[in-house]
Amino acid sequence: MPISGDHALSRRALLAGTAASGVLMTLAEARAQGITPKSGGTLTSLLTPEPAILVPGVNNQAPTLIASSKIFQGLLDYSMALEPRPVLAKSWSLSDDKLSYTFKLQEGVTFHDGKPFTADDVIFSIMKFHFDLAPRARSVFQKIKQATAPDPLTVVFTLDSPFEPFLLMFHATAAAIMPKHLYEGTDFRNNPNNQKPIGTGPFQFVEWQRGGFIRLKKYDGYWKKGQPYLDEIVYRIVPDSQSRALAMETGQVLMSGASDIEPFDVPRFQQKPNLEIETKGWECFAPLMWIELNHRVKPLGDVKVRKAISMAIDRDFILRRLWFGVGKVATSPIASTTLFYDPASKLAAHDVRAANILLDEAGYKADSSGVRFKLRHLTLPYGEIWARLAEYLRATFKQIGIELTLESTDTGGWASRVSAWDYDTTINFLYQFGDPTLGVERTYVSTNIQKVVFTNTGGYTNPEVDKAFAAGRNGATAAERKTAFATAQSLLIADMAQIWIQEMSFPTIHDKKARNLIQFGSGIHACYDDVFLA
Amino acid sequence: MSFLHAFTRNRGAVLGLIILALVALMAATASVVFPFSPWDMQGAPFAHPGEEGFLLGSDSLGRDVAAGIAHGAYVSLLIGAVSTLVGLAIGVSLGAIAGYAGGLMDDAIMRVTEIFQTVPSFILAVVLVAIFRPSLASIVAAIAIVSWPPVTRVVRAEFLTLRNREFVQAAEVLGRSRFAIIVHEILPNALSPIIVLASLMVASAVLLESALSFLGLGDPNLMSWGFMIGSGRSVIRLAWWMSVFPGLAIFLTVLALNLVGDGLADALNPRLSRRR
Amino acid sequence: MSILRFLLARMAKMVAVIATIVVVNFLLIHAAPGDPASVLAGQSGAADARFVEQLRHQFGLDQPLSTQLWLYVSSVATGDLGISHLQQRPVLDLILERLSATLILTLSAFAFSIAAGMALGVAAAQRAGSWIDSALTVLALGFYCTPIFWVGLMLVLVFSVSLDWLPSFGMMTIGAPLHGLARVQDIAAHLVLPALTLGLFYMAVYARMTRASMLDSLGQDYVRTARAKGVPEGRILRRHILRNALLPIVTLAGVQAGQLIGGSVLVETVFAWPGIGRLAFDALLARDYQVLLGVFLTTSIMVILFNLATDLLYLLIDPRMRPA
Repeated sequence: MPISGDHALSRRALLAGTAASGVLMTLAEARAQGITPKSGGTLTSLLTPEPAILVPGVNNQAPTLIASSKIFQGLLDYSMALEPRPVLAKSWSLSDDKLSYTFKLQEGVTFHDGKPFTADDVIFSIMKFHFDLAPRARSVFQKIKQATAPDPLTVVFTLDSPFEPFLLMFHATAAAIMPKHLYEGTDFRNNPNNQKPIGTGPFQFVEWQRGGFIRLKKYDGYWKKGQPYLDEIVYRIVPDSQSRALAMETGQVLMSGASDIEPFDVPRFQQKPNLEIETKGWECFAPLMWIELNHRVKPLGDVKVRKAISMAIDRDFILRRLWFGVGKVATSPIASTTLFYDPASKLAAHDVRAANILLDEAGYKADSSGVRFKLRHLTLPYGEIWARLAEYLRATFKQIGIELTLESTDTGGWASRVSAWDYDTTINFLYQFGDPTLGVERTYVSTNIQKVVFTNTGGYTNPEVDKAFAAGRNGATAAERKTAFATAQSLLIADMAQIWIQEMSFPTIHDKKARNLIQFGSGIHACYDDVFLA
Repeated sequence: MSFLHAFTRNRGAVLGLIILALVALMAATASVVFPFSPWDMQGAPFAHPGEEGFLLGSDSLGRDVAAGIAHGAYVSLLIGAVSTLVGLAIGVSLGAIAGYAGGLMDDAIMRVTEIFQTVPSFILAVVLVAIFRPSLASIVAAIAIVSWPPVTRVVRAEFLTLRNREFVQAAEVLGRSRFAIIVHEILPNALSPIIVLASLMVASAVLLESALSFLGLGDPNLMSWGFMIGSGRSVIRLAWWMSVFPGLAIFLTVLALNLVGDGLADALNPRLSRRR
Repeated sequence: MSILRFLLARMAKMVAVIATIVVVNFLLIHAAPGDPASVLAGQSGAADARFVEQLRHQFGLDQPLSTQLWLYVSSVATGDLGISHLQQRPVLDLILERLSATLILTLSAFAFSIAAGMALGVAAAQRAGSWIDSALTVLALGFYCTPIFWVGLMLVLVFSVSLDWLPSFGMMTIGAPLHGLARVQDIAAHLVLPALTLGLFYMAVYARMTRASMLDSLGQDYVRTARAKGVPEGRILRRHILRNALLPIVTLAGVQAGQLIGGSVLVETVFAWPGIGRLAFDALLARDYQVLLGVFLTTSIMVILFNLATDLLYLLIDPRMRPA
């Protein structure tokens, strides 16, 4: 069953029923609209917070991945409907037993130091570099039984069992191709090249003035002829949110993405005629936010209590008042842009009265001051909006007789307390990486209850759910998997395993003259070789 | 000239006392005037002052700024007073021991005091609160820890001069215990500078607490003025009233405490007066 | 050679103080919940036990505390402040990069506060009791009683948001690589509001102090004598009165050096000024121990050096104070 990169027909057909179709403006379409790409110019962008380092794998935090995806490339990128698109892989095919993936690589690709890119670099990056460094890569690539290079431009990965989401793991943010000749046999984390990253991307690293900016310039030896169009990309680091908004407003930077601009500033940019706000381009990641309940803490193990809390939350208020409409109310543990989302899934509507009745029925009597029971809430330490959310939750929980005491902490404290299961309630959000097996399963299956952050730290267990996720993971066909995940969703919603709040979305705000910024499901993490300034 | 007379002759001090009384009144009646939690969402967010029944406007969640200021008064005064008491307790005991015992003890205590005065105190307070997690107790402790050294110095100096006075030597001859001599003989005579210092310490504690809260290191369960300014900061272009009014409240309170401190200094001890 | 001995004694003390600070800070910061490994695990969005173990080992966090302390102290002694866990770069580099911004800010604020404070103080003292005196006293008291971050915000509200005269953040214009004079002007424009914010509080302090010691000296014998001898007022002011008024100010400036640096944390936060105050705060939130320790050490050394400078200045101004 060969799948050519340019058509990806089979897979597209398989996915057609489940994936939300995104508006994809390809280069061809852009040309059809009469916009001819123009060479030259510098794209200035905000980047927040300052990345620690510009090498994916060594650091997988958001700012690192945004900037390094211009320097390093993966084998694939993905459309907004999560169909694979060629990058360093020209085409790919899957054997009939669904075990062997064969990637044909692009010709004439060189690293920024002039050395050619070959199949060896791919195998090294996947089997050594990312496997050693990144937990996410490890969890998938451990399925690779054998990796071979029949010729310098062909790579074959043979899995131990069929694994349908395998193709979703080849983006620059998950498995960027590293130069083997510079990294093999070294301590990856402390390799001196980490300070001056060398990849195959359209832009090469020039300078980094810490606390100021990161400057990338066009790589003249880039493998796509005539590209990239931009001469330079400059990432400006501005620690203060108001300053960032002002820089955007006054045109000192041409674009902002991720969490550069606070949600409350977004409305004022909507009125600017020269700016465009896009919220697409997060389909590959699809962060979903929820109130994480620790099921071991009484009475959070009681499904009625969880349902009452869910009904007490006004998700619409949170979206409108705190996130100023940037995002989407959650309807399921699976984000609506993730594959196998079941559109039939729904959460009970906001109804404080019904929530109180439910708690009365469950036998949680209020004392003289109206308190049924007390809980602690560990505030997510990522800035102001999370503090506001915690304050909102405290006010809301009070309406159903739950006294919530807020505990503030820093990022280290948060992670270590969540990993130690030392919390009652907190807020959590995780990327879903396009597929429930890659990004949803880990939060709910009992086999992943670990004292490590971003596992099933809430301690939720339901053997039926375990079974459903296992069926989804091992299912060889999309149809099988779809059934499994529909079951998982309805079970999780019936149990109200966690209180899903919102599908988070991050606006990309940019000057209208910057074109092609958001064309893929990876959004601002694309390599930008076709971005130009009109 | 009686103390009261001297104090009331200072118009600034009287004004300060009046402001302080008003702030205290506001703190005491907050839950009567605004019979709801300052955290409760009362209406539309970002209402201008005077709109929708919000005297001083509402914040980003539709919480009443006026209610926040009233309830915050209690928190500010409480933290100011308690941390000053703790700071005084540390400072006075160390100063008394250093000044009375002298010798090696004095040397050791003064070295420690010096170190505390060398470390940038605000940074130290930030670190302490962050490490021990922001809570009422950690904030009070941090403020006390950075504010005791001046007390120690003043008390030590007083003790150094007083311990050689006749009445102290008389008490020693009479065989009274050291503790009794320190507490009953010397301390009462060193009280005036301590009282003056205390009023100024409350003022700086209020400022320090607001600065910590502003940085997001306040107790998340207590409404405080610094927190309000901090949460209004990012939306200052949208809602100036969220940061202006709590700032005025801090200003007036600290001003009042300083005026009272000056008045006390004049009235209690001309030697320490700021010669206005 | 008394000055030399004085200096040597001060140096010995400095070393002792710094050593204590290093040890205490190290222990304090390690008392905190959460370590850099959990921060990195927490921010990378995915983790497994092996990942956390790798990080712990890489940072030496699996060593006993005493070993970690010993390693830290001995490397600090050789000028190595360690590596930032978060940025994976030498802490010393990070600090040195930011140090100039903080020095520019604090020294301008300091210079402004001394100059403006003494001018106001002299003006007030010369017209003691007049409305100008009262106005200046009220003004000085006002700034003394206002939280500096609030002053900063209000200045932004007036001069940036409403009047649009001055930039409200950063140290230089974004995206405009200026050189020479234009660059200096650009930085100066960005410096005005933060330096004013930080300086106004101390200006208030110095104004009050100058006024008090001026009034004090005006009544002194040597001033009366000079006046009787017909020495011009300006000369009396410069030679006799100000010189004496300077002493308490210099003392105070030394004592307040630490506060000035502490204040710069707030001001740098309000104005997004890229200095070490901001670095310290970010490092604190991210549990970047090594950076935090480094900043602590640097600021403490700055304070000590500043104190030393004021001591020397003291000797210069007032020969009577020369240590025996």
